[in-house]
Amino acid sequence: MPVLKAEMVEPLTKTGASCRVDAAVAPRFRPGERILVRNINPVHHTRLPRYVRGRHGTVERDHGVFVFPDTSAHGQGHKPQHVYSVRFTGRELWGPQASERDVLYLDLWDDYMDPT
Amino acid sequence: MNGAHDLGGMHGLGPINPEPNEPVFHEEWERRMFGLFIATFAGGHFNVDQFRHAIERMNPAHYLDSPYYEHWLNACETLLVEGGALSHKELNEHTSRLEKEAR
Repeated sequence: MPVLKAEMVEPLTKTGASCRVDAAVAPRFRPGERILVRNINPVHHTRLPRYVRGRHGTVERDHGVFVFPDTSAHGQGHKPQHVYSVRFTGRELWGPQASERDVLYLDLWDDYMDPT
Repeated sequence: MNGAHDLGGMHGLGPINPEPNEPVFHEEWERRMFGLFIATFAGGHFNVDQFRHAIERMNPAHYLDSPYYEHWLNACETLLVEGGALSHKELNEHTSRLEKEAR
């Protein structure tokens, strides 16, 4: 069994353990592209908040390739894929009463989205 | 999982009031909990996604009514028991002993 060594503590506490993966996986989306978030309600782990499901957004930037939490949390492998910063308007998420100046950026995995 | 942890857009939970000069830990037990997390994580008992999911699986009322590092303690206990590193019996015996000592 691996054990914690003194020299591991500082890097772990300073930077955390990154879930970035060095894998050649093709992105499904490009910055500037409009997307539709999938309306999924899995009983397993997911990092897709409820309030954004079924909403339209715009891909702002591609962060690179990361472990997919939905499978990784259940021993079903890393399923590495791109994570994007996606821009949503306040009105898309909260309706016409929201300020037209409000926008929200969410980091979303490839598997959470479809092209529009 | 559509659990109590997914609070985005919910009302009635009160304002978010960040403390000025907030300490890293408010209580000594939180410092120890952080150490326990680092040791069990490095020991290969779970990955970060399993850890987050263990927190989501907490009783929802307990989740909402407990501080941040208590969520960590709960996840550690759940995953160590599920992984077989610790039994329910051992955990209960140890906790009872600590409770007695604290009285």
